[in-house]
Amino acid sequence: MESRKIAITGLGIFCATGKDVPSFTDSLLSGRCGIGPVDMFDVTPFPSRIAAQVRGYDPLDYFERKIAAKLSRTDQFAVIAAGEALAESGAGTHYSPYDIGVSLGGGAAGMGQGERWLQDTLAGRKVHPSDLRGLLQDRTTTAVAAAYNLAGYQGSITTACSSSATAIGWGADLIATRRLKAVVCGGSDSLSILTFAGFNSLRVVDPAPCSPFSLGRQGISLGEGSAFMVLEDEREARRRGATIHGYILGYAAAGEAFHMTAPEPNGTEAARVMAEAARYAGIPLDRIGWVNAHGTGTPLNDVVESKAMKLVFGERVKEVPLISTKAMTGHCLGAAGAIEALATVVGLRKGVILQTINFRGSDPECDLDYCHAGPKQSDTEVALSNSFAFGGNITSLVISRS
Amino acid sequence: MPRNSYDIVVTGLAAISPAGVGLAPLRETLQSGECRLTPMPVEVVGEAGHLWGRVEGFRATDFMPPLKARKFDRASLFAVVAAGMAIQDAGIDLATLDRTRIGILLGCGFGGLPNSEEFLRGYFTGGTDMLVPMLFPNTVPNAPASNASIEHGLKGPNVTHVQRLCSAESAFLMALRFLEEERADIIITGGVDEVHPFILQGFRDMGQLRRYGASFAEGVGLLVLEKRDHAVARGASIRASVGSGRTIGLLPKGSEAEGVERLMGNTALPSLVCFSGIADDLPCLTERFPAVRALVPGRLLGRSLAMGGVAMVSLVLSLASGEKGLHLAASPEGPYYAFDFHGGAPVQP
Repeated sequence: MESRKIAITGLGIFCATGKDVPSFTDSLLSGRCGIGPVDMFDVTPFPSRIAAQVRGYDPLDYFERKIAAKLSRTDQFAVIAAGEALAESGAGTHYSPYDIGVSLGGGAAGMGQGERWLQDTLAGRKVHPSDLRGLLQDRTTTAVAAAYNLAGYQGSITTACSSSATAIGWGADLIATRRLKAVVCGGSDSLSILTFAGFNSLRVVDPAPCSPFSLGRQGISLGEGSAFMVLEDEREARRRGATIHGYILGYAAAGEAFHMTAPEPNGTEAARVMAEAARYAGIPLDRIGWVNAHGTGTPLNDVVESKAMKLVFGERVKEVPLISTKAMTGHCLGAAGAIEALATVVGLRKGVILQTINFRGSDPECDLDYCHAGPKQSDTEVALSNSFAFGGNITSLVISRS
Repeated sequence: MPRNSYDIVVTGLAAISPAGVGLAPLRETLQSGECRLTPMPVEVVGEAGHLWGRVEGFRATDFMPPLKARKFDRASLFAVVAAGMAIQDAGIDLATLDRTRIGILLGCGFGGLPNSEEFLRGYFTGGTDMLVPMLFPNTVPNAPASNASIEHGLKGPNVTHVQRLCSAESAFLMALRFLEEERADIIITGGVDEVHPFILQGFRDMGQLRRYGASFAEGVGLLVLEKRDHAVARGASIRASVGSGRTIGLLPKGSEAEGVERLMGNTALPSLVCFSGIADDLPCLTERFPAVRALVPGRLLGRSLAMGGVAMVSLVLSLASGEKGLHLAASPEGPYYAFDFHGGAPVQP
């Protein structure tokens, strides 16, 4: 089969560091941190009381009251971000509804509303049945499909923190296999007590804004948001005069088969997936200029990811910065892969290797270039975006600007 | 894709369903047509008169030490045990194969939610002192597939899908693609789900216990897929082959006919149609096959979000060699899937 180049023709984002692509771009380039106090629920019992919450958000700024009531916070973020991507792309009005689909990665989905149902049930209060409507990730996908009449495909991937990276890779596959002419792919997630309490109970949340690859880092900062991109076959996109922001060249997704929460400590499995992604993309490793890390800021992840980099790039590793945008966006779980893929597209287009903010000091076990001093100008054409997850689910995306 | 050749084959099956543990009780149920749903105890939802599809005879400790069994949620137990059964049924010798070339792609509906409920219940009733960290890792829907990959050392592609009553079909479509692209040599795919009182209480509160939550069931159905050449080279027995797979996301009002035509494609009339999800409730699908033998596993075993796994296993078990089968699945608000199957080994081109 003739291979197809998968073009990115629309971008959309809604998160703590930007409620659209221009503001998110400004935040990325200026190193603005979106991590701060949380007021969605009571966080006082926990050692860490901060997160990258989307603050100042009123659903009625975006939705009619009746519609907002039917959508979870996660659904709402997704409809907003997907709407930005579709509006910019123009694909939604160019193709038949049956030729456009939605591929979404989810995480906690509408757990926030589900928690209210559980609290009401436990307290013997009257429950709101609608609180359960968005409990599963597939509801968000349907909300996007229904909002924009995208009838070609509905799919939701739920591999925890790698969900939306895989959803983008799979979206590219749906174009490559000619199943669809355009796909809106990405992820959405929102803060919940489940994830806030859960990660705190595992003692992997930093009380201060996370500081990936720094000495003294204590873990993640949670976040929330949504990011989407519209993918199309490059020739079709050019034929209709669409703006092309970059390309999804390939991806790999595999299981480490090691442990539910701990990464394989030598980085060999992560390295295998990164190298596989380049191979599927048909890209020699020496064309990859930087890597947008999973970079959670946990003591273990950052060391393992640095080890994996050395295995993949060998002697060239010091020339390939490994950066983490999570220090700005927080760890957005189901949406993390999509937000970071979008950040990677922005960096490539701007000719910049993005920075890792919140530096606290050099860790001898993290001895690569993490761009702690700030963004770097670069004419790099290709970058990787890594996503690692509970279950050992690893996805690596290969993204190019041309 | 769309693909029409039958070059991907089914070499192994596994099922744990309300019919029982293993393929034999499922086959028996399909042949007898006896419904395996049982009355749901009144205390589950505080109402009488409901049926459910609980797997009653499953004891994890029949398959693993009690201490190991304790660390898994119920859906993960189903997946871990059934993956072992599927590997054995397919005659896969893991010691001789490259495990990075063996993947697992599952649909999973409510897997992870019972752990979430238990974890949160502790917090809401007793604060941080009552948080049980051990519960948290298995709150994710990918816990069943990932635990199965860890237990069996499967290092190939590992992805979990949820898309209402077509969760297993979503995973199945990706499995076909990954095999075609040679991202893996062997993929274990299908669906896993568990039924839990809190899920049923949720259905009750949403007014769905007599609609989509009616006869809710649990279990796992897995198929081992590989390319025909790979299967032949390792001397595997071929149970069926898989042809084209088609899907649509929604049926927008006013253009339903176009959607159904796209879903059906140019497929030849099958000998047997397997209806999964709510496909058997949709005249636009059922009326196309008035004279064709129909298999509706959901009526015997109940419905679940990942019921497509057991349904596709049922179809393969029911197809005679040389017979053409069609698996049709649908969900409320979409999506819709159609997969062509061929019983036994495919005819050589």
